[in-house]
Amino acid sequence: MLRVTRTPIVPTALLRAMRDPAAGAVVTFLGTTRNENAGRRVVRLEYEAFSRMAEREMRALAATATKRWTLRKVAMVHRIGIVPVGEASVAIAVSAGHRAEAFAACHWLIDRLKEIVPIWKREHFRGGQVWIGPQQGIPEASVGRAAARRTSACGGRRRHAPRRGDR
Amino acid sequence: MRIRLRFFAALREQMGARGERSVKSGATVGTLWRALVAERPELAAVPVRFAVNETYVAPSHRLADGDEVAIFPPVSGGR
Repeated sequence: MLRVTRTPIVPTALLRAMRDPAAGAVVTFLGTTRNENAGRRVVRLEYEAFSRMAEREMRALAATATKRWTLRKVAMVHRIGIVPVGEASVAIAVSAGHRAEAFAACHWLIDRLKEIVPIWKREHFRGGQVWIGPQQGIPEASVGRAAARRTSACGGRRRHAPRRGDR
Repeated sequence: MRIRLRFFAALREQMGARGERSVKSGATVGTLWRALVAERPELAAVPVRFAVNETYVAPSHRLADGDEVAIFPPVSGGR
């Protein structure tokens, strides 16, 4: 189970996929929409994916992790579209012979997923919206000046993303 | 050569989701990107990654006729 989906994530489905008589440990991770970010009141997150490539990258990550930690089963599901506060946008489950491998692999998988799987997040907060990059938000409609603004968006603790036409 | 283009996230909002373009034989992903930036100088400051036919590539990657080039900002992050 390695996929991008528009429907809510069902954690029990991932758990079912972990069943394996040789497994002694199952570790799961859920990433959920938090109600605040960088001092902003977050009302929902919105995800966009290059779905076919994302699933391809997920398969590659699962294969690498399975080899490295001798896993039994791996599942990764990422939801796209609107994800309300409190709901899961990403779920990872791994099963292994022992817990140390399962914990390590699960941690590695979520970190790598965030780095390389082509899925983007737009934060909708009270008063605006902003695309979120690895380090900082890229203000909507001003992507061309994102580099110049990065300092102020981060260091200046700007409360609202600049609007179109805002300099 | 005809190249298909795809843009995502903030870049999609600026460029549209899909496009098509002719490039000279021997062109690389980097040459293609520089041509786009020449037309839209505001793109110069955008951090981007490239994928050709759904695989990450470096700007030095040489294009082939019919390739699908995806251009997008760094992925979503979180910690």
